[in-house]
Amino acid sequence: MIEFSPEVATTVINTVSYIAAGSAMIAGVGPGIGMGFAAGKATTAVRRQPEARGPIITTMLLGQVISASTGIYSLVIAIFLIYGI
Amino acid sequence: MNPGPQIQFYLFGKEFLPVTDTLIVGWVSVLIILIGSIYLTRRLTVRPNGKQNLAEFFIELIYKQIEPMLPGEGWRFLPFIATIFIYVGVGNLIGVIPGVTNPTGDLNTTLGLALVVFIVVQYEGMREYGVWGYIKGFAEPVIFLLPINVIGELAKPISHSFRLFGNIVGGGIIITLIYQAAPALIPVPLHAWFGVFVGAIQALIFGMVAIAYISVAKS
Repeated sequence: MIEFSPEVATTVINTVSYIAAGSAMIAGVGPGIGMGFAAGKATTAVRRQPEARGPIITTMLLGQVISASTGIYSLVIAIFLIYGI
Repeated sequence: MNPGPQIQFYLFGKEFLPVTDTLIVGWVSVLIILIGSIYLTRRLTVRPNGKQNLAEFFIELIYKQIEPMLPGEGWRFLPFIATIFIYVGVGNLIGVIPGVTNPTGDLNTTLGLALVVFIVVQYEGMREYGVWGYIKGFAEPVIFLLPINVIGELAKPISHSFRLFGNIVGGGIIITLIYQAAPALIPVPLHAWFGVFVGAIQALIFGMVAIAYISVAKS
């Protein structure tokens, strides 16, 4: 029906991949909200027990690194989309 | 360093063993760990002093991470978990040097380590419950949860490897962009954050998630 030259096809695919990579990073909202909430809870815990500050901060960091995982998954997909893998 | 293998062996006209940057830096880090541990374990005495204190400090640190989650079997798992911790940690720290690729910035490294952890987890589960008992454990609450449980089990090495890979590669990309955009001294604190801090914490998390997977399989 319609004939596209190879340059047009490559350009269209690249354009759509870039748009898709940008919209994949909307998934950064979720971990941001969750990790901010956890940091707030950690601050409340330090308020209640200021002498337990060290272990509370360690526990909070541990939980935050794990819950940042899904944001990292979306970053990996965006990188794959940009570099065409 | 350029992508693609540096040395390529050929067998019967086909590509056989590519030697990539990641492999070379991995071997260098293994060499560093070997030389370091031979140096630190010279002349062991029952009452430690000097550099033996350092080695014992690291081993006790790792042991204290394993013991709460796997009570009574900490010493059995210590070599495996300590290998994972130290290899990923040294690899991440070597990758801070500009011009040296991070071995965990390659999906092959992280996926290989995650598959080894996966095999160890399955073996430990089967050792605890027997082969048939462990497989039946997937159908545990209701039988039609069997595919969901299997998919969840298969998703564990994928999430395990992609967490480390994504963190290191994402940091590397941001550092590359900053190097192109900003002059001399500005990239240094960012490099310190992404290279040293994130690398060390991700090594810690990789090991602790491995311990958590093993303790879940044994319960």
